[in-house]
Amino acid sequence: MPDRRPASQKFHTVLAMLVVVLAVLSLMVGSADLPPKTVFDALLNGDGIAGIIVRDIRLPRTLLAAMIGGTFGLAGAALQGLLRNPLAEPALFGAPQAAAAGAALLIATGSAGATSFAVPLAGIAGTTLAVGGLLAIAGRRASLTVTMLAGLAIASFFGAAIALILNLAPNPHIALEIAFWLLGSLQDRSFEHVIIVLPFLAASWVTLGMSANAFRALTLGEDAAASLGVDMGWTRRTVVVGVAFGVGAAVSIAGAISFVGLVAPHLVRRAVGSDPARVMLPAALAGAAMLLAADIGVRLVPGAIEIKLGVVTALIGVPFFVAMIFSERRYLEGNPVS
Amino acid sequence: MKPPRSELLLRGEAVTVRLGKALVVDSANLTLRAGEFVALVGPNGAGKTTLMRALAGLQPARGKIELRERRLDSFGPRERARSIAYLPQGHVFYWPVSAASVVGLGRYPHADAFSRPSPEDATAVSRALKATGLEPLADRRVTTLSGGERARVALARALATEAPILFADEPTASLDPRHQLLVMEMLRRTTRTGAAVLAILHDITLAARFADRIVLMDGGRIVADGLPADALNPAQIAKVFGVEAIDVDIGEGVVPVLRRPI
Repeated sequence: MPDRRPASQKFHTVLAMLVVVLAVLSLMVGSADLPPKTVFDALLNGDGIAGIIVRDIRLPRTLLAAMIGGTFGLAGAALQGLLRNPLAEPALFGAPQAAAAGAALLIATGSAGATSFAVPLAGIAGTTLAVGGLLAIAGRRASLTVTMLAGLAIASFFGAAIALILNLAPNPHIALEIAFWLLGSLQDRSFEHVIIVLPFLAASWVTLGMSANAFRALTLGEDAAASLGVDMGWTRRTVVVGVAFGVGAAVSIAGAISFVGLVAPHLVRRAVGSDPARVMLPAALAGAAMLLAADIGVRLVPGAIEIKLGVVTALIGVPFFVAMIFSERRYLEGNPVS
Repeated sequence: MKPPRSELLLRGEAVTVRLGKALVVDSANLTLRAGEFVALVGPNGAGKTTLMRALAGLQPARGKIELRERRLDSFGPRERARSIAYLPQGHVFYWPVSAASVVGLGRYPHADAFSRPSPEDATAVSRALKATGLEPLADRRVTTLSGGERARVALARALATEAPILFADEPTASLDPRHQLLVMEMLRRTTRTGAAVLAILHDITLAARFADRIVLMDGGRIVADGLPADALNPAQIAKVFGVEAIDVDIGEGVVPVLRRPI
């Protein structure tokens, strides 16, 4: 029986409200600051300049930030559940890099426009290779060391693939475009992007959500989970597909954004406990809130050049990751609690 | 003593497992009847864990394994899990969750992917907590418990499934003497409810004292299967373990006590 924690219900409500508040803020902030009333009027009626700014320019950006942040939070929680390891995060084994390599290849060869369904599909193909490769190398026991080393190898491989694509880019303009896109951004995204990415993200949420109880059983390790009736092969494949769809599609729209999947589950664990199934929904909400906040942040920094979203999440995420390694040192040195 | 012909729950015939090129389990025949406490003993590397995992359906094997006279591989994973509870070695918990939520995992096979815990689940969990004396520790995080307490949590998780068959792989390993006896008594009590228990044990004195029947493995083969006094006689122990043993009467029967390596 999971812990009876009525408090977690309240926590979910607070997180959801935070996401809504940040979403409204995200609609208010930009080169023209709009008061909340104007934003609501514009959302409902959509007339005039304010209507264009809010509905056509900011709303897609806000929706994408919430959806993509939520996807990263959920994907991080799912990978941590599968690998039974609080340090699992899509970026640590090159999932975003792999998605970026897939999408960049498509852009560089000029075979598809930036707003075509082919771009997320290429991203998903790249991520499938990365996640599938990680699980194949990490194996049944998924020890921390092997998982991390496998992740390092895969991340390096896709980093090299991106470098090769940049290297072979037919003209410097394309290379620059890819390079900027790799930094991660939600600037100038339209509803077309939302429509392209939504089916893939929704598929990812459903797929990962289905494995929640299996992650809970994996608290006992793979053998015990299998003996309880968890189909481990199916669970692994589901997570590969779910993470690939989510991260692959998200990166193909937003560029390489990292560390949301690490930080979001960690933050909510303090409130809802460590049960890997209970972490998933709040981790998704926290991920959405984080990316919304980061995307508001990049717009608040003064200066002619907008700081890229992926740069902000990495700048905040990496020190956080280091702090986490410090606090989890006992766990890391002794591996599982036995 | 148990009635000699209680219901046949599990039957393995010519169970054979190869891992790579190594023949780890070599045509093992084994039966398990309701209410029986069977100890699986043998030296390291004899194939005990592999045989147990094969019988639990966790390890592909050749030969015939039948659960209640139906082929084991025709069972769905949860259906199989409702019949065979398996307690692996080591008592590992990967997340710092409460003892009660670990024990609740034993109910996994009774649910589907989306259902909420039922009243029967709650009753089974409290029964398992009670049987293992864990009620006062139910809300403690497993990471804060001692080794003996964690072993009891792991056992309670397996008991909570309330399966007719319980497999336990070295349930007493690394436990202090008191906890070893407590766990053995808990396992014996489980058989009184009609469940069959198959436990891998390294302490042959403990095995001989508690088990109704001993299955002795060596080099992948079952070399003896019978009452403790027959399967664990000093000659057999010398041959299989390379240890000199003497039979000692401890008031409730004769058990082998080890003296020195040969």
